[in-house]
Amino acid sequence: MNNFMLSQFITLLRREVSEHKNLFIWAPVVLGLLIFVVDFLIINALTEVDKARAVEWLARYFDGGNPVDMSAVFVFHTLPFMLILHFCAILYLNTTLYQDRRDSSILFWQSMPVSNLATVISKVVAITAIAPLFYVAVIFVLYAVGILWLIFSGMALGIDVSGLGYMFISAVWSLPVVYLFALTSAIWLLPMVGWLLLFSAFANRTPLIWAIGVLVLLLFLEGFIFDTQFLSNWIQTRSDPDNFIIVEYGGLMDRLFSYDMFIGIVVGSILIAGAVYMRRFID
Amino acid sequence: MENIVHARGLTKLYGNFKALDNVDLDIPQGAISGLIGPNGAGKTTTLKALIGLCDVEGELEVAGRDPRGARHKLMEDVCFIADVGILPKWLKVRQILDYVAGVHPRFDRSKAEKFLATTEIPVNKRVKELSKGMVTQLHLAVVMAIEVRLLVLDEPTLGLDIIYRKEFYDRLLNDFYDGDRTIIISTHQVEEIEALLSHLIFINKGKIVLNSMMSDLAEIYTEVVVAPDQTQQAEALKPIHIRKLLGKSCYTFESVPRVQLEGLGELYTPSVADLFVAKLKDHRDE
Amino acid sequence: MKDKILKNRYTLLGTALSVYVLVLVLEGALTGRQHEWWLIDNSLLEMDLRQAIDMGNIDVDF
Repeated sequence: MNNFMLSQFITLLRREVSEHKNLFIWAPVVLGLLIFVVDFLIINALTEVDKARAVEWLARYFDGGNPVDMSAVFVFHTLPFMLILHFCAILYLNTTLYQDRRDSSILFWQSMPVSNLATVISKVVAITAIAPLFYVAVIFVLYAVGILWLIFSGMALGIDVSGLGYMFISAVWSLPVVYLFALTSAIWLLPMVGWLLLFSAFANRTPLIWAIGVLVLLLFLEGFIFDTQFLSNWIQTRSDPDNFIIVEYGGLMDRLFSYDMFIGIVVGSILIAGAVYMRRFID
Repeated sequence: MENIVHARGLTKLYGNFKALDNVDLDIPQGAISGLIGPNGAGKTTTLKALIGLCDVEGELEVAGRDPRGARHKLMEDVCFIADVGILPKWLKVRQILDYVAGVHPRFDRSKAEKFLATTEIPVNKRVKELSKGMVTQLHLAVVMAIEVRLLVLDEPTLGLDIIYRKEFYDRLLNDFYDGDRTIIISTHQVEEIEALLSHLIFINKGKIVLNSMMSDLAEIYTEVVVAPDQTQQAEALKPIHIRKLLGKSCYTFESVPRVQLEGLGELYTPSVADLFVAKLKDHRDE
Repeated sequence: MKDKILKNRYTLLGTALSVYVLVLVLEGALTGRQHEWWLIDNSLLEMDLRQAIDMGNIDVDF
């Protein structure tokens, strides 16, 4: 890959982010604000005594602890963000190769020397690797503001808050794990990414209904014609929540280098290739 | 002069409908070529085929490549404006310049910005906030700043005010065209571009009806305003079209030497518009 | 062959889906894949739902 292809690819990524600010930036920000407000209200409802006890407990719990061991808690708390990210990803993948055919803007995009392959790959990279960056940034701000607030509250109540410093380091330490968690889940779900992109590129109307409808149809047909359950098993394995609840590096490594991950990448690539070729059918 | 477009036997079927029926085309480099035809004649299909947006059967070479292969490579040398209003509505003007600068190796941003400075387009507005005429200006500004060999325009001024339309062709001729670049314009408003063209193509019902350099037209086509007493002799020479003009009849002839027509009345070279009507209603097919 | 597959969007979709199903069926047949939904094994907890239901109480390892 030469320099121009790389800078072209970066331009494509920037386009995806600009075009979908709602999903990439506003969704996590709104969620972060929501969580902050709810936590604020809950804590305010506590008595001064309870508040002091809570801060004290936290400071002592984290004091002197190994940030690496303690970071699992922080990864766990990002689950709402991960849920929203997955939901946004489904919306994004479903419409991204469909919308520009609907409003004819595809005629502009196709007048530029950008290959169909680069276009589709940039969308895959944007949602799997770039979107989580924004989410992690919002999470960082949320944790930082939250812990700072605890520190100042604690200091005002005369509590030794040095343990909260350890809490902060733990929280920061969890962020790369959260990012890798999102990235690994996305790669694990590459077949779904490919499936959505394929129907996004194929459908002239209601791509989501096509994507779901054909899947249901195939499941039914397999059972009816062959009396087998391979597709059903495959989908069950893919969607098993075990693969999404990863809170530490060890869990990530297991998932990343497993056979299931590999076969998922192969199958996902087949579907993504289908989406790339599908781009040539504009009318 | 080499041809920038070479096509033989282009055919496109939509079910049973023949959008393109065995189309042969040769367009020389440096031409300003007009693709004229009624609605549904196959203009858009032809142009889309040339830029790789429509799969057709037949032999096709544009700027040295087959558009059905690597379209994106072809887009380095070719650009097109397909209809008004295909610029993405959510993009800001500045973002369009950023994007094209980032993906196109032959885009000169300062050129586009200079052009835009002469318009009233605010750089920070989104495309959806611009008027139709401004969107066309913007698109033209971008396209003219790219070092293309061929520019394909599909009804670029459709629905625009006359001021924007005139300015469009003005800029195209004065700032973009340099004798080396080729422009192909499709339109059903013949009169507007008649004066610009050096090459002419008529298309009707998916078939090419005429394909000629403008300079050759006078040798091939002649219009004669025939006096009533000469009509029999005129008809014997097999005109392709007859129309009434202020009480007299105007006969159009194809490939009939002017010497044979001299006695019948005043001779003219038909305008593109009149020639278009004549070819479409060619009596000899009946 | 390429022309037949790329003839229109329907032939392409048909081909892509056929390859997809073929690969999955082969994979399933070769590896004897069966999804044991009653096993839970992730970073947080590990349990066997069948055992838990059989015994009438939940046995959980954190």
